[in-house]
Amino acid sequence: MHYVQIIFTLAWRNLWRNHRRTIIMLAAISVGAWAMIFMTSLMRGMVNEMLRDGIRALPGHVQVHHPDYRDDPSVGNLVSLTSAEIDATLAGAGIERFTARIRVPAIISSERESRGVTLIGADPLREKSVAAVGSEIVEGRNLDGPDDGGVVLGRKLAEKLETQVGKRIVLMSQDPDNEVADRGYRVVGLFEANLAAHEEAFVFAGRETVQKMLRIDDRVSEVAVAGDDYRVVDALLAEVRVLMGKDDEVLPWTELDEYLGTMLGVMDGFVLVWVVVIFLALSFGLVNTLVMAVFERVREIGLMLALGMRPSSILGQIIVESVLLLVLGLIIGNLLAFASIIPLKDGIDISIVAEGMEMFGASSILYPEIEKSDVILANIVVLVLGFIASLSPAWQASRYEPVEAITKV
Amino acid sequence: MTAVRCIDLCKTYRQGDQDIKALDHVDLEVEHSGFVCLSAPSGGGKTTLLNAIGGLDIPDSGEVWVAGQRIDQLSKGELAAIRLTQIGFVFQAYNLIPVLTAQENVEFVMQVQGVAAADRRSKSQAILEEVGLKGLEDRRPAEMSGGQQQRVAVARAIVSRPALVLADEPTANLDSKTSDELMELFVELNNHHDTTFVIATHDQRVMAYAKRLIKMLDGRIVEDIEQRAA
Amino acid sequence: MNITIRLAWRNLWRHSRRTWLTIGAMVFSNALLVFMISLQFGMYELMIDNTLQAFIGHMQIQAPGYKDDAKMRQVVPDAEQLAATLRQELDLETIAARSAAFALLSSEDRSYGVQIFGVDPRYEPGVSTLPGLVKEGRYPQDRDAQEIVIGSVLARNLKVSLGDELTLLGSGRDGSFSAAVAEVTGIFESGVIEMDRSIAEVPLGFFDDVFYMDGAAHAVVIVTPGLAVIEDYRARAEALLPAEEDLVLHDWDALQPGLKQAIQADISSAFFMYGVLVILVAFSVMNTQLMSVLERTHEFGIVMALGLTPGRLGRLVILETSLMGLAGLFLGALVGGLITLWFTYNGFSYPGMDQMAANFNLPSRFYPQATLLTLFLGPAVVFVGSILSALYPALRLHWLRPVEAMRAV
Repeated sequence: MHYVQIIFTLAWRNLWRNHRRTIIMLAAISVGAWAMIFMTSLMRGMVNEMLRDGIRALPGHVQVHHPDYRDDPSVGNLVSLTSAEIDATLAGAGIERFTARIRVPAIISSERESRGVTLIGADPLREKSVAAVGSEIVEGRNLDGPDDGGVVLGRKLAEKLETQVGKRIVLMSQDPDNEVADRGYRVVGLFEANLAAHEEAFVFAGRETVQKMLRIDDRVSEVAVAGDDYRVVDALLAEVRVLMGKDDEVLPWTELDEYLGTMLGVMDGFVLVWVVVIFLALSFGLVNTLVMAVFERVREIGLMLALGMRPSSILGQIIVESVLLLVLGLIIGNLLAFASIIPLKDGIDISIVAEGMEMFGASSILYPEIEKSDVILANIVVLVLGFIASLSPAWQASRYEPVEAITKV
Repeated sequence: MTAVRCIDLCKTYRQGDQDIKALDHVDLEVEHSGFVCLSAPSGGGKTTLLNAIGGLDIPDSGEVWVAGQRIDQLSKGELAAIRLTQIGFVFQAYNLIPVLTAQENVEFVMQVQGVAAADRRSKSQAILEEVGLKGLEDRRPAEMSGGQQQRVAVARAIVSRPALVLADEPTANLDSKTSDELMELFVELNNHHDTTFVIATHDQRVMAYAKRLIKMLDGRIVEDIEQRAA
Repeated sequence: MNITIRLAWRNLWRHSRRTWLTIGAMVFSNALLVFMISLQFGMYELMIDNTLQAFIGHMQIQAPGYKDDAKMRQVVPDAEQLAATLRQELDLETIAARSAAFALLSSEDRSYGVQIFGVDPRYEPGVSTLPGLVKEGRYPQDRDAQEIVIGSVLARNLKVSLGDELTLLGSGRDGSFSAAVAEVTGIFESGVIEMDRSIAEVPLGFFDDVFYMDGAAHAVVIVTPGLAVIEDYRARAEALLPAEEDLVLHDWDALQPGLKQAIQADISSAFFMYGVLVILVAFSVMNTQLMSVLERTHEFGIVMALGLTPGRLGRLVILETSLMGLAGLFLGALVGGLITLWFTYNGFSYPGMDQMAANFNLPSRFYPQATLLTLFLGPAVVFVGSILSALYPALRLHWLRPVEAMRAV
């Protein structure tokens, strides 16, 4: 233990001996650490928002379907239980956030235009419980309940159809016998979503009204269940499988939307690669600084060895010097990153490339998010790799022969 | 009692394409509380001999005994421990660690030995006073004169009361007045604490202080004179 | 060799390890930049090509407003005649008229809302890759045949195969109800699920009848021989538009703004990352050159006493940096080029890439190719950054006083 104090004293003072060099290196590490965290939080914010939007559109974290529904999302492939049975089963198990809905392709026609859409027959209260797209009404009102005879459209779709709240539209789909099933509805409300595609795709009507129109009694196409955290769905998945998985397919969101599922993994991979690349770019300067420091101090290292300091303490001294430098740089870099992200927490407007972001499935306002695990990862990677990078110069310093070192001019 | 014993030491260096015999079958014995000067022209082997005694350099053949322990076959770690506890060093230059103050330099060895802080402080202050540096404890080497630096080095060498002090050209960078002061310090330590001194030098004034003067040439001891101390 | 260059060169190798580490930092960043930029630019080009050639084409002549609203009544009158004129005047075969409508497509068992395109069987293969993707059956040949080509997923969902009949229901140009029956004569498979699920094509004459188009179509699609000559063709085509009609010519950027924006978004985030790399290398160089100046203080003092000006010494430092920078530039371009070359033959992919690539009509494995631009763009910026960062140590020399400098150790 008595070595520790002297090693730290020496390392710290040596660090400031050539303060210009130390400051340049500190600046480099700080910029590197800042870039690691800043960039990561921007990307993380984008991807998280993307995942949340995607999950809102699915909606939910786990869904139940007829085994054939995903390949053929038609009215012929319905969940085996009726909506009353589903309500009873899930509520009975203590699950609160779920919705049983009809989801079929349909054609919507106004007086002037027709569009292909996805018709959702839903219970508005239950939709809200899973935070589904369509719950954010900007004009008119939301559906009253499952027996409401009106429809709610996305704002963009209403524009394209040249319709508005109060006007009538016709929805056309098919019943299980492939007879055309159509019905006129009054537009009661318009909703807004982060992605234009969602506003154009979904049309909401009362579940019971749609069931009547499609002549499917009390059946539905999908059940969506939401948990607390989209990253942790295994327990929920297992529970829903037990409750409803007998005849139907129960899948987590990562498999329902593979694009979203892979995005999460790609993002985690990106963070690691980015952090390591920045570190590598830094490492040359770091090793260089240490090599120089050792080179300049050959004689005093020889002196310390001659006085009886153990080689391992010389090794420790160089490594401590390097780690002190890294820790200081990381502290500055982390603070810089937090300081530069706080003013951006209300979002960065990138609507200038909105349509491009939409191709990625991302919205046009970027909310940077600092995730604790990313920050920890960045700092640990720098410290661990920095430690490894300093081993070589430090080892070299500890291998000096005292006589040669001390007499070296 | 014998402080240092060297038996049949040989050491050859290669310089360019020439072999240089730095030590050529050297036998040497230094009594406890001896005060020995090794004198030789440069390249005469005195530094090599000093380094061999201090365990800084391993001879090609022969034996080195310090305080009754054979040291030429010890590992680096064991040698470090011997230097730490048994031997004090004063080098020609670059004696001090630049980032430490005078007092910290003196405390350095004790700190590595694991002496408690309070103990270190009192000892280092006492020794700095003894070498005449009271008031300069907090100066760094760059803020002191060459003589002051050498005195700090001496203070460090003797602070943990080693039985043996090895000094390599301790006065090389000093003016004559400072040299005399340093040598008188050595003599006093030798008298009061029975510390054995082995000093390599080619400074006549330094030799004058020695009880025993050993002259070397081409790696061999050519003369070994007992002197009356100055 | 010039004496100054020789001097600078020798100075560099006084500390070969330090010089190599600094060059190493440059080579690392440069190689990464070369590879990433080659990959990126190649991907963008492919993204544009694939997306445009799949369907959109390089330019389209449309009625004003059609691009945003895509309403049935926003038509190009006598579109086939216009297409024929353009083909002749521009001496370009890859021009075709096309119409589009939403319709409900019903088989015996199923109905789906899809986008139906009316295409000119003779010229459509020149403006779209879709006809070439017909895996079963054939593409229509007669412009009036009651035939329909659908995507493979749609065929599966509708449970139809070649020879089966499908019923089309939709609204015509005037908003009136339109219906027809067509025989499935071809099934295409693009690999992009969304296209294979929601697109159908019928001959233009048949479309005209069903949807009461009266000789009009929604667009004249133009594919030019390459992206580089679009502007040229655009000017010539615009001159040929009939003056009495209100028509507009959109280029691909206007037709698919998301594409360019996605590229812009990607470029800006990538360039941020590259910028950080360049800054880190610059710090590394600054550190090295500062060290090299500081340790030569004594030497510089002597030559200044001999009458050399600080300016000349500064130039020497810059020259040293340039030599180091050039080594980094060429080695980096070489290493980066070799890495890229390896991927040119073996292809580049990362986990999750296939999912993301599909969004942009990209293959899941990509073969990047280095060009002169991608080889030297990144390294050149790093080179300039290095020189700039050496200015600080070089300018410090002006503060050097010969006498004091000579006293320095």
